[in-house]
Amino acid sequence: MVEIQTEIINKLGLHARAAAKLSHLANSFNAEVSIVYNEVRVNAKSLLGILTLAASVGNSITVITEGSDEQEAAATVKNLIDRKFDEEK
Amino acid sequence: MEKTISGNPITSGVEIGYAFLFQSKENQIFKESISRNKVKSEEVRFLNGVKESQSQLKKISKNLEKKLGKESALIIETQYLLLKDKELLNSIIAIIRNESVKSEWAIKQIEKKYIELFSNIPDLAFQEKRNDISDILNRIINNLKSNKIKLNTDNDNIILIADDIPPSIAATLITKRKILGLILEKGCETSHSVILAKTLEIPTIIGTQNIVNLVENGKTIIIDSIKGDVILSPKKKTIEIYLKKKKDYQIYKTEKKKVLLLPDKTKDLINFQLSANIEFPFESETVNSYGAKGIGLFRTEFLFTESDIAISEEKQYLLYKNIAQKVYPDKLTIRTFDVGRDKTNDFIKQEKEQNPALGTMAVRLFLKEPKLLITQIRAILRANEIGNIKLLFPMITEFEEIIELKKIISIEKNKLKSEGLISDKILEIGIMIEIPATIKLIRHLKDEVDFFSLGSNDLIQYLLAVDRNNSAISYLYKPFNPSVIDALKEILEEVTKIGKEITVCGEIAGNGPTALLLLGMGFTSFSMNPLSIVEIKRLFTTINISYLKNVIKKLYKLTLKQEIKNTFINSILKKYPELF
Repeated sequence: MVEIQTEIINKLGLHARAAAKLSHLANSFNAEVSIVYNEVRVNAKSLLGILTLAASVGNSITVITEGSDEQEAAATVKNLIDRKFDEEK
Repeated sequence: MEKTISGNPITSGVEIGYAFLFQSKENQIFKESISRNKVKSEEVRFLNGVKESQSQLKKISKNLEKKLGKESALIIETQYLLLKDKELLNSIIAIIRNESVKSEWAIKQIEKKYIELFSNIPDLAFQEKRNDISDILNRIINNLKSNKIKLNTDNDNIILIADDIPPSIAATLITKRKILGLILEKGCETSHSVILAKTLEIPTIIGTQNIVNLVENGKTIIIDSIKGDVILSPKKKTIEIYLKKKKDYQIYKTEKKKVLLLPDKTKDLINFQLSANIEFPFESETVNSYGAKGIGLFRTEFLFTESDIAISEEKQYLLYKNIAQKVYPDKLTIRTFDVGRDKTNDFIKQEKEQNPALGTMAVRLFLKEPKLLITQIRAILRANEIGNIKLLFPMITEFEEIIELKKIISIEKNKLKSEGLISDKILEIGIMIEIPATIKLIRHLKDEVDFFSLGSNDLIQYLLAVDRNNSAISYLYKPFNPSVIDALKEILEEVTKIGKEITVCGEIAGNGPTALLLLGMGFTSFSMNPLSIVEIKRLFTTINISYLKNVIKKLYKLTLKQEIKNTFINSILKKYPELF
């Protein structure tokens, strides 16, 4: 299991577009991918699940991955968040 | 009989069209059990409904993309993706399986769950998602029916009226027919239907009271979303007036588009900045379309009309944060409560004063009773998540007040830090120059204040000791009074000397001749009623500052206000005969 903490830094937070990108990415891994925010844990492969977190800019979240490609999954997800979901230049 | 109903205008325009009342008929759904051996076929029935809904949404999304581009189609694209969400679908199937019930009932249970979940989120943008969930789930239910509801999409030139409208329905209507206007009794600024209407520049009003019950389908109605009025059963005369208003607005819009595309530079390439003064949060929706670069003055007194907001840090925090996000990367300047002069209200118990305009108001009031100010400051500190908020204090008289206010800020900042509620973004702090004595204070404020704001309405009143609303003496209230001009000159010199910036935000910033006077004197940042921005930008982009400077030099030698004004305007007209 891999556990990484990171901060949401894109202006709009985990809104529809960002959440869609995140769940799309999570679905490309074998590993289970979850996001924890505010003591709530959701399946990152579910767009709806991510949206229910309502995580916005400045919030700190935890990415948890478990499975054969957990290392890569965690790093790639963190990278997407740190890249601000490619929304801002 | 003619009747006018008012609401909050979102997208400006004037249109006359036929009322089209959209009412979503929701059928009551009852719990219907099925026998164990029917469960498998019920699952298939459900998945077929899902499949059909998916292909419908794909089609709507494609049509929308064709008409408005990828960005707008995202709304429906997201719904499509939600409909493919395995967790969502599996949770419905689980209910069908475990409880042996029909799909409709299972869908309704899940809808209830998510509506509750999203309703508890305070952030409006996320809360809005409950409408998407409802929208897609009801689409499945409709597709499961043997006789489906079909939208009548024939008539054109309609003004759509509804309580609220689900996004996918709005998208279908908007792409299929000509909608002139949108009126929503409930709808909120962040709802998808409203965002779509904004993208299409369809005149939109929200928050109209009771209109759904008053309007008749197919009848002529007028929407005036410049003002925020809906006119039902208009008289012939009224229609004529609005046809004229519609035409004027179209001319203004074409002109506006041309002017707004220009860079914010004078003819001789000096940069200037025009931002918006706003009073209510909903105005922040449109400032961009008026050409404003950010909000130079957000008056927060309205909070006092809604009791629960003034005392709720959480509500204010969300409100400020939302507006800051909207104007990003431009700035949002929030002025703390400027109350206590004209209106009394229930919150602040105040002794009646002989001379309220010289009495306990604004910062003076809150330094005595700091509770509400602290709430506001905490909300602002927290809301500054992207770092584009500026905090502005009104009615500063002396240095001591600034020290006290900064002490409050620093205490609250530390508290918020230990509560983990604040980011490390810097919050710029500024003061209003509106009391004449403050002019002499500027030179001492290099290390205390980050920026200044010139509240010219009050400054002129206090400088000349004139109540401008008193018609017996209002002739004395004139910005071209040489003492006023001299004070303005001194303010700019003092502010420049300590290396700070100043924004003019009174009426003189949004009025052609005075704005030009200020520009020629060297002021470059102006905040005004958003509607004035186009006109001021037109003037500024046409003119050479160097020419204005020469004209203004001559003015300093004159003593009579009327002579000063005439000389100024005539000199400008000599070089730019068509300017005004």
